[in-house]
Amino acid sequence: MKFRFPTIFALILGFASANAQSSKIEFVEYDLDNGLHVILHEDHSTPLVAVSIMYHVGSKNENPNRTGFAHFFEHLLFEGSENIKRGEYSSYVESAGGTLNANTSHDRTFYYEIMPSNQLELGIWLESERLLHAKVENVGIETQREVVKEERRQRVENQPYGTWMEETFKRAYKEHPYKWPVIGSMAHLDAAVEKDYVDFYKTFYVPNNAVLSIAGDIDIEETKKYIDKYFAGIPKGTKAIPRPTVVEPPLAGEQRATIEDNVQLPAILQSYRIPGQGTEDSYAVEMLATLLARGESSRLHRSLVDGKQLALQIGAFPFSLEDSGLAVAFALVNAGVKLEDAEKEMEAVYEKVRNELISEKEFQKLRNQIENDFISGNTTIAGRAESLANYHMYFGKADLINNEIDRYMAVTREDIKRVANKYFVPSNRVVLYYVPKKDNP
Amino acid sequence: MRNIIFALLAIFTFAQCSPKTSTTLSDKDYDAPEIAADASSTNPSDFRSKAPKAGPAPEIQIGTYEAFDLANGLKVILVENHKTPIVSFQLTLDNDPVMEKEFAGYSDMAGDMLTKGTKNRTKAQMDEEIDFIGGSLNSSGSGMFASSLTKHSDKLLGLMSDALLNPIFPQKEFEKMKKRTISGIQSAKDDPNTIAGQVGAVLRNGSSHPYGEIATEKTVESITLDKCKSYYNTYFKPNAAYLVIVGDMTLADAKTAANKFFGAWEKGDVPSHSYKKPTYPSETQVAFVDKPGAVQTVISVTYPVDITPGHPDAIKASLTNAILGGGGFSGRLMQNLREDKAFTYGARSSLRTDPLAGRFAAGASVRNEVTDSSVVEFLYEMNRMRNKKVAAEDLQKTKNIMTGSFARSLERPQTIARFALNTARYNLPKDYYANYLKNLNAVTITDVQAMARKYIRPSNAYVVVVGNKEEVADKLSGFAKSGKVDFYDNYGQPIKEATTEIAADLDAYKIVEKYVEAIGGKAKLKGVKDYIITMGVNAQGQDVLITQMGKLPNKYYMKAELPAMGIVAQEMIFDGTKGKMKGMQGNSDMDEKTIAGVKERINPFPEATYKEDGYKLELKGVENLYGKDAYKIEVISPSGKKSTEYYDVASGLKMRSMEKVEGPMGEQVSTTEYEDYRDVDGIKMPFVMSSKQGVLKMKEVEFNTNMSDDKFKVD
Repeated sequence: MKFRFPTIFALILGFASANAQSSKIEFVEYDLDNGLHVILHEDHSTPLVAVSIMYHVGSKNENPNRTGFAHFFEHLLFEGSENIKRGEYSSYVESAGGTLNANTSHDRTFYYEIMPSNQLELGIWLESERLLHAKVENVGIETQREVVKEERRQRVENQPYGTWMEETFKRAYKEHPYKWPVIGSMAHLDAAVEKDYVDFYKTFYVPNNAVLSIAGDIDIEETKKYIDKYFAGIPKGTKAIPRPTVVEPPLAGEQRATIEDNVQLPAILQSYRIPGQGTEDSYAVEMLATLLARGESSRLHRSLVDGKQLALQIGAFPFSLEDSGLAVAFALVNAGVKLEDAEKEMEAVYEKVRNELISEKEFQKLRNQIENDFISGNTTIAGRAESLANYHMYFGKADLINNEIDRYMAVTREDIKRVANKYFVPSNRVVLYYVPKKDNP
Repeated sequence: MRNIIFALLAIFTFAQCSPKTSTTLSDKDYDAPEIAADASSTNPSDFRSKAPKAGPAPEIQIGTYEAFDLANGLKVILVENHKTPIVSFQLTLDNDPVMEKEFAGYSDMAGDMLTKGTKNRTKAQMDEEIDFIGGSLNSSGSGMFASSLTKHSDKLLGLMSDALLNPIFPQKEFEKMKKRTISGIQSAKDDPNTIAGQVGAVLRNGSSHPYGEIATEKTVESITLDKCKSYYNTYFKPNAAYLVIVGDMTLADAKTAANKFFGAWEKGDVPSHSYKKPTYPSETQVAFVDKPGAVQTVISVTYPVDITPGHPDAIKASLTNAILGGGGFSGRLMQNLREDKAFTYGARSSLRTDPLAGRFAAGASVRNEVTDSSVVEFLYEMNRMRNKKVAAEDLQKTKNIMTGSFARSLERPQTIARFALNTARYNLPKDYYANYLKNLNAVTITDVQAMARKYIRPSNAYVVVVGNKEEVADKLSGFAKSGKVDFYDNYGQPIKEATTEIAADLDAYKIVEKYVEAIGGKAKLKGVKDYIITMGVNAQGQDVLITQMGKLPNKYYMKAELPAMGIVAQEMIFDGTKGKMKGMQGNSDMDEKTIAGVKERINPFPEATYKEDGYKLELKGVENLYGKDAYKIEVISPSGKKSTEYYDVASGLKMRSMEKVEGPMGEQVSTTEYEDYRDVDGIKMPFVMSSKQGVLKMKEVEFNTNMSDDKFKVD
């Protein structure tokens, strides 16, 4: 390839267009006595199995003086256990021909192994060890602290526009813990002592705060036996699991800021506060974002990219979270274009959606796009394992993997107009201008 | 659809990691408990102490595909998969890449143009119809890709075939595309990984290989619509193309569809090209690209390798690379640089086979202060692969990892399609992929060392480093055989260090005097009483004509028109005391600030009288610009405005000026480069002036036309 568009925005666009499934996905689910929720999906098309655990802990559960802990913990939980020496965890999986990883969000932490299906028991054993008695040595803590700092430099500081999430969230939230970034404060990580680790582990890494989701080439009955063997004896957590109850008050008017960054092209990012995922309005907002930015015939693309040629790239997507979320719209402007002009044009696009009902034809287009995305998603066993866990953890309804599409189809044209008026208004947003750093002649 | 969120999070993406492998497992470690739950009944916790044993290994089956040819030579590959009602169509051109030279980027632009208007549809109609079915359709210089739900596949193929067979290459869309492409190139300038990739490609492949070509603002600016049309007409031919269908479609339907939508595509001769294979450098070099303010350094140790797809060494070499720096957490680079030293979030290497030019690359992003230590570790691990035999357990582990990765890839039907396409394109043995695991598992310790000695070449590498020059560059010279760091720009062009010594008696005023002499002499310049200059510039896809007139000492007029649309976009008139701006947004009187700015630009040759007008100059040193040494001078105008000017040491001509200007985002630095000096009535004028905003080309220059004051009347 001889040229390319900027990474972050390309990624967002790439990601913002996938998910879900058509032909019915069968699964069984049940609880162990210790509160661990189990979901099993059997699919023999390839001899693979995905073993995953989702813990209901993310950055929003952190002590404000220990931000970044959920993510840091995710790194540490590869260090070993009573029965697994430092360094062996990933080695077991990779030697068995598997792969493993994990990731942390504002709301949850997710670990998985994808293995040849004859290694199912190994995967279950590994995850049970992580939950029952993880062990972290000092050398591991010191190493991972530095690794996390490099991760932050690589993904945030040395990446054009890389700070946009933290810059947005700290302005969009003043009270709720969503205000601090998932990767957290490096100073907080430096300040942590052993008791912090033990407390965090004993509070959140308990079976009654987790979903074990396994998908692939498995026999359900055999899998249940393994789960019973390795997980049933793990004691239920005894501590209360703190969840933020603070309700973020409405924004005190529009929040604006100009961020200087090592970028060549200025960009504007608007983030509108929206309700939490799964609420009725959240589906309408997602369809609104689709209307605005999905495909070259979308409203923002047609007006800013094709029509007035103000922008190199535009995008809009809901950043949905458990307690509430943000709908983000951005434009990366062409060389020489003023951000003010791009913003004015974006506003004109919203104004039209706020004032005029979209046509039946355009509405049908949105429904077709949503249907396409729903059916194209969840084609891999790992994707299905994660989706099932998500749907259970956030909505208590794993079956949404089959029928969440109905919630989108229930959205009306009037709903789209209504949410545009309710949420896509200046007083409800954070606006960031990203501009090139000034240098000296 | 909730997962979109998590997909997004993956960007910021606090993904994970693993630890240092101090122990390596062999099969005996798997001697664990019986599967049955009651096996643990003797001692309730015993069953946990060892990893469970694996069950019997499942059979890894590679899915099947069908292949057929159309009468026009189009080769079709079908991988049926009815799990979900989705079908995709990928058209891959099979021509040799072309040298694009000063027009680098045109084949991609030609491809992009296919969906930008056809005999039957405007671009807007095309977009509308694709989006309406919720599908996608993309085109590039090497083919097309389309996908949708099965129920819309007829519609989708109709659009795809229309774009492929009937593009009309509208000029307007071409200009838009060009502008976007240039903006895209600009926006990538701050991405250190893009820079490292570009510079590595140029160094490895050189300027006479298509893989060594980089599209820049300049080359894209030069691309013409004819170039694109000609590329399309020459290379988009069915007899040099594959259509790969993956998903919910039967063989019978695929045959009908392929004939219906691609049967009318006319065959034609496609020229072939051959290129000399690049060879690795005779000694290790350090190539540094400065990224001021960077908090991390991107390191890439890279060189060309000659391994074609299916080459007898390919599997063995790929296994060798995997031990060094393959994916996952077990590679030696990851273990060393991340898990042991904590220099980086991730360190990996890759070895790519290619029919024209394969390549090796090992890289990581590391914090500034460990840049040199990290290079030491990269070279150490590369040497260790060559000098020490790999342990049997390490070899077995890597085989397991690669077997697992191969098995996982088979979950996607696209993998089967890729195997089929590679087998056909690269003439691989029919059973190449069927025998892959067998051949992988046959690789020996001796093979690995032989491959390492052949393909892991720490002494024949380009160590490409993108980072903060001030903080890290001088610590890297020891890694180059020559003992010095070579500096490059973002596009892999060498930046030479200035060699000129500044003479003791030289000062900034003398340098400017030399410039004045070089362009015609003080008397000649001071003899200019008025002038008319017309210039052309392509700004945002529009041709703009700019006319400037000035009458000394204090009258000025400027007009910018869009000849294509027959409109005047802006006019500025200044009569010596007051001024007016006229434009599409209406007319206004010039404010104080604008007047001050205008006054400073009336005189085309302020340098001739810098001294007497009270400009303060300071010589700041010598820098090398595009291979020429230039004096750098700081200029402070009588009104206090600061700028920096560069004068060619050899010719005396001005090469560059940088000044602070009010831009859309407030104050910005504007850089102008002066080139192509030509003689006009005994005065040398730069006929090309380029800046970030565009390239100004002088069309006509006239001096001393006895201009009347009427031209500068402000009404």
